[in-house]
Formats: sequence, structure tokens, C-alpha cells
Amino acid sequence: MFLKITLVLFFIYMLFQLIYIFVPLFAVKSKNRFSKLEKEKGISILIPAYNEEKVILNCLQGIVNLKYKNYEAIFINDGSSDQTLNILKEHLQLEPTFQRLPAIKIPHEAIIEVYQSKLYPKILVIDKENGGKADALNAGIEYLKKEIVITLDADSILEPHSLQAMNKAFEDEKVIAAGGMVQIGQGFHGNFLRPKPTFLTSGIIRYQIIQYLTAFYLHKFTLMKMSSITVIAGAFGAFRKNILFEIDGFRKTVGEDMDITLRIQRLVKTKYKDCKLIFNPQATCYTECPETYKALFNQRIRWQKAFMDCVITYRTSFFNRFGFRLSIFFLIEAFLLGTLSAFPIIFIPIILIFNLEHYMIALGLLTVTFFLGNYQSFSTLVVSRRFGLRYHRKDYLKIATFIPIEIITYRLLGLAFVISGTIMYFINKEKWNVATRIGTNSQSYDEGVLLLNEKTVFMNEKVG
Amino acid sequence: MKRIVFNMTFVVSFLLIFSIIVKVYYADFAEALSQEPHFYPRDKSLPLQSCQGWTDVVRDFQVDDGQGADEVPVLMYHRVIDEEDLAENHFDEENRLHSTILLKESFNDQMELLREHNFTTLTSKELKLFLKGELEVPKNSIVLTFDDGSKDNYVETYPILKENGLTALNFIITGAITSKDSKYEANAYQYLSESEIINSCDVFEFQSHTYNYHKRTFNYVPYLIAKSKEDIKYDLEASIVNLDQRNRAFAYPYGGYNEETIDVLKELEFEMAYTVVPEIARPGIHLYEIPRIEIFPEDSLEDFKRKIRLN
Repeated sequence: MFLKITLVLFFIYMLFQLIYIFVPLFAVKSKNRFSKLEKEKGISILIPAYNEEKVILNCLQGIVNLKYKNYEAIFINDGSSDQTLNILKEHLQLEPTFQRLPAIKIPHEAIIEVYQSKLYPKILVIDKENGGKADALNAGIEYLKKEIVITLDADSILEPHSLQAMNKAFEDEKVIAAGGMVQIGQGFHGNFLRPKPTFLTSGIIRYQIIQYLTAFYLHKFTLMKMSSITVIAGAFGAFRKNILFEIDGFRKTVGEDMDITLRIQRLVKTKYKDCKLIFNPQATCYTECPETYKALFNQRIRWQKAFMDCVITYRTSFFNRFGFRLSIFFLIEAFLLGTLSAFPIIFIPIILIFNLEHYMIALGLLTVTFFLGNYQSFSTLVVSRRFGLRYHRKDYLKIATFIPIEIITYRLLGLAFVISGTIMYFINKEKWNVATRIGTNSQSYDEGVLLLNEKTVFMNEKVG
Repeated sequence: MKRIVFNMTFVVSFLLIFSIIVKVYYADFAEALSQEPHFYPRDKSLPLQSCQGWTDVVRDFQVDDGQGADEVPVLMYHRVIDEEDLAENHFDEENRLHSTILLKESFNDQMELLREHNFTTLTSKELKLFLKGELEVPKNSIVLTFDDGSKDNYVETYPILKENGLTALNFIITGAITSKDSKYEANAYQYLSESEIINSCDVFEFQSHTYNYHKRTFNYVPYLIAKSKEDIKYDLEASIVNLDQRNRAFAYPYGGYNEETIDVLKELEFEMAYTVVPEIARPGIHLYEIPRIEIFPEDSLEDFKRKIRLN
């Protein structure tokens, strides 16, 4: 009986893996460039910041280097206890502004002051009482003016053409929300305006590079094809403003990004049946990933808690209000195979010690898992290349030797994360585990605008 | 074009490696899946002690000295099938019914004959005492035995025995007992289920016919001869557990045994064992070599009368 359940679960697992390997492989075309639109739609970028003094300037660098005119960027200082606000004041020459008034539709913590930059009038800073990330985003929604809203993490840096790509994606009236491509910042070097991918980095970062590429280029792309996107990453997402107001903004929870995605999906399946959520692989941002096991553990625990929170919160909405396909992907793939199966899997070695009879079965399943893992990573690299991510030949060699080892080492960490996160969700739902920032920067802006050097800024303005 | 060629190469290499993996592990998976539901668990006991109590009681037959039987025929049956249910696989190459199959009609006639002549069916314990010369039994005493415990024993045989007030020994291969009840199909090889054994234990006295050693090697040597003493003991121990520690009698599959087999039986405290030697049982014979007379499908009622010494 145990054997049969195992085999049935494994068979379902195999089916999902096959979908992820082959759907993007056949659906993604070789030439994958978007055509730039003349007409720029208005885009507001919201950047909630809580104690981000180490990384906030990197984020700002990305903003000022955007190849886009019709945008505004709003930093929301969520009651930071560090120098975040002072750094922004210092580099942006902030002055209080009275030209902005809130929409007064979504409640949030009290606003202390709204500033505008003298240097870059497109950049605003809202200083408010601490209320958490969702609260900060809601405050930002209240003050923004443009029709499309981008939410960006303070540790993420927008690629210069990312807004053009989003502008193009929202040209389709049916698109009401879009997730961007999140790349690992540590996986690139050289100039931010022309970044070069590199694999010359530590194992823990390599593991996350492969994981992000697979999660976005294979999984998110496939989920989009199945109209089943369940999370638009908080690091880089885009929404139509009216939708954010319609669903009363973000909900205060550990995973506000998955939460809002699911609520928008529910709206799509029940009210706006023509509309859709998409993944936009051409709109890229670079995010800083954890470099230590402890930081990685904290991040993944947070993700798993966020996931469990959505499972519990929306348990009654599946199938009838989320539609069939999304429910299948969420409940079967993510919950049954991703979370519940992790618990029995860790007992397999123990079972094998006491019951050697089925060791060939265990070995067989392990072989198939290993084989599927390698082919999925292979597919990831092929699809990434078609999306324009080309590694140097030496890097491909490094990747080829890394992946087989990674599958049987780093990837097993995932089990520990899922199990600990699930248990900790039920023990302490409220604890948030705020991420610690490192502030490393493996790229430079030597050809772009340099905030720290006012002379360069001046020169660039003159040239532009 | 280049993309299509690449994709095809990708798919072909995927399928190739995958089929190699399937080929390597196929046998292991097939075995694991087919074996699992096949054997009755070694450590599971049927609740037989409570319903088999009647086999532990030795009746007082009130036979006057010298008036009792001096020999008792022990009959051996396997399957009993209704003529209507006969299928192709019940016959051998020469189109004769397999020797282990008796038609229900013949069996019914035989049992009615026993009742008409007031035959007494003995339990194994009573037979043992008779063979040891410690018990007088009536002249028309007989022992009925069934080997292998196929499902028809419950469907066809049990009602006939019960109707005629007779009892019988049933030697079962305990590893083949099924937990679930399935619909009776005469042409399939079906074994007694747990509930069928419990429901028929007022008529059948269930004893061991091994756990899973009703087998022969490739050159037809019965397992009880071919296998080591330890292996045989390990197998029989499971059958005793399955039978709720009831280990009074044993029947040798294919009638195959040797000195070592008898030693194992004694170590496991079996009290007697039945062979397939077609002779009549008399007091003084070896208790681990009790002969049995097989009843064949072609036997007429006259043949049957001769076999049971009914003149």
C-alpha cells in the first residue's frame, strides 16, 4: 500500500516535471526581442524600504539609469530605525512637497512627510510610521499618479530597459498584472548597462542562480501558459492601478505578494474573465540573494510560511473560485508534492535501513529524479539562451559539472526549508524574519549616472 | 530550423536515456508490485482457537470391546466443481478432467452414501488416538481430508458436508489466504479468504500445508526435500502463526518428505503428518506417515465403496 502511494505520487511528480521541461522548450522562440513602443504609458514604481541603508543606493542607481521618461519612483520609508531616510535626503536633495494628496481609499499608518527630489523631480520619498511591507505599499498606492504600478524590493535593481518591456506588455488591454524576470545580481559582473552573466561564484549562489532561472524561465513561463500564475514576485511586479484599488491594496501578511496574486486571480476567474496575469521574461531586475546558509534559511522559511498562509487563507476558494487548472497546480504540485511529500521523503533512508527489500525501488526512483533534474536544468539553460542569457563557454562547462552535484546536495536543502517553514508556520505565524541585507555590488555604473559623484551626474545631464 | 533540430535531438536523447532507465529497473518494479498483495502476512493470526474447539474434544463413541474398527480409511480430495462451471482449463491435454478435480454431483453422491451408512467422520486427534491404540472408534469410521484450500472448498464442499453432518480436515497453504473476498469464478485459481475460513470452521478442521512451500524446483523436487532444514522451519513457523498456533497435523505437498522433514515437524510439535500413499490406516503405523486414499474424478460410486471398504 505504502509502495503504491509512493509510486502514484512519483508518477504525478514526473508528469509535472515533464510539463516544465517540454512546454517552454517548444513554446519559446529563438529570437526573443520585444519591439520598443513610441508611446510610453505612465508607470509608478513603489519601493518600500525598512532599514535598507546598505542597499538603497544600488536600487536608486537602477532608477536613475532607466531608459524611460514617463515614470515616477516613490520610495516609502517604513519607519526605518537606521540611516535609510538620511541617505535618500543626502543624495536626492529632498524637499517637502504639498502637491501630492492621498486618494484616501486604502487605510495605512500615518504619513510623516512627503518629499520630492530637487535633483530628480520624478523621485518622491514618503516617510511614514512603521507598518510592515504591505502597509508601506498601500501608502505608496495612495500617493501615486500613473496608470501602471510597479512594486520593487529595495534590494533589487531595475535593468535600464525593464520599463520599456513592461510598457510593451501592458499594451495588451487584457493584461492586468505582470511579473518581471528576477535575476540574481551576484550572477552578473561588469557594467550595469551591459551586464555579463558569470558563474564564477560560490556554490550557494550558483545554486540560487540555477534555481531562479528554472523557477522563472521554465516554471513561471509554463504556469502563464496554463493561466495558473500563483505568485508575482514582490521583488518585481507590475499591476494596473485600478485593480489595486478594486482589491483594496495589499493585505498585511507574511507573503503579501502571493496573497495579492491569488486575489487578482480570483477576480480574473470570477469577474474579469477576459483578463490575464502574465510573466514578462524581457523585463529584468537584479536582486541580491542571500550569501550565507543562515540568511538563505531565513528567507526560505519566510517564503514557506507565506505559502502556508495562503493555503490556509484561501482553502475554501480552490476549484470554485480559482478555477480548475490553478487549483491543480497550487494544491497538487505546490502543496501535495512540494510540501506534504517532503515529510515522508526524509524518512526514506530510515525505512530503507529497516526494509532492504525495496532498495532497488528507492534506487530506481532516485535515478529517475536525478535524470529529470539534469534534463530540467539542461532545458533551463537552453530556454535562458533563447531569452538572451548567454554564458561564456567556460561558464557552461562549470555549470555542466555543477548541476549533477547540485541535484544531490544543495537541492536537498529545499526539503529542510519546506519542512522547517511549515512547522514554524504553525508554531509562530506572526514572527516575520526580516531579511538582512549585505550590500555587495558586483556590478558598476562606470558608463551610467553615478549618484555618489555629483560631478559625473552633472556631466551626464549636460550630455543628455 | 536549427531550433527544431535541437528540440528533436533533446527529445530523442531524453527518451533514449529514459527507456534505458526503465529497462534497468523494470523487473524490480514489476516484482515489487505483483508480489506485494500476493502473500498473507507472516505475522498475522486468524482467530481460529475459539471456533476450532470442537476438534480438541475426544468423543466417547461407546463402542463395546472388540466391536470397534480395526482400520480407518483416510480419503484425500482437492477441488470440487459444479459440472456447469467446467471450463477448458479444468482438463488436461488428453481432454480428461484433472485428477484433483471432482464433480460436485459425484461428491454429493459420495457424501450422501456416507450418511446413509451412518459413517462417523473423525477429527485428527481422534484418529491419532485410534492409531496409537488408545481409542476405540465405530466400525464405519472415516477421515475426510482436503488439500490446498481452494475457494470451491467453501462454495461447493462446505454446504454438502454440513448438510450430511460430516466434518473434514482442510490442509491450507496459509501464505495464499486472501484478506479480501472476491466473487467465485470456477475457472480462476482462487484461494480461501479470511472470512471464508472463519465461516467454515465448524465443519473444517484447518491445518498446515506449509506457508509458501507448496512448490517444486525446476526438476520437480518438492521444496520439503530440496530446501534446507532452516528454510523449511522458517516457512512452517509462519503457517503455524497464521493458523493461530494450531499445529496438530500436517500434509506433505506432493507427498514429498524425508527424515529431516519429520525432524522439523517434531521440533515444531506437529503431532502427525499425512502422505499420499494410497493405503488404509491401521493402528501401529508411523504417525508422521499416515497414508491417504485419493478419490479420482473417474471413480464410480462402486469404486468409492471399494475404497472405503463398504461391502
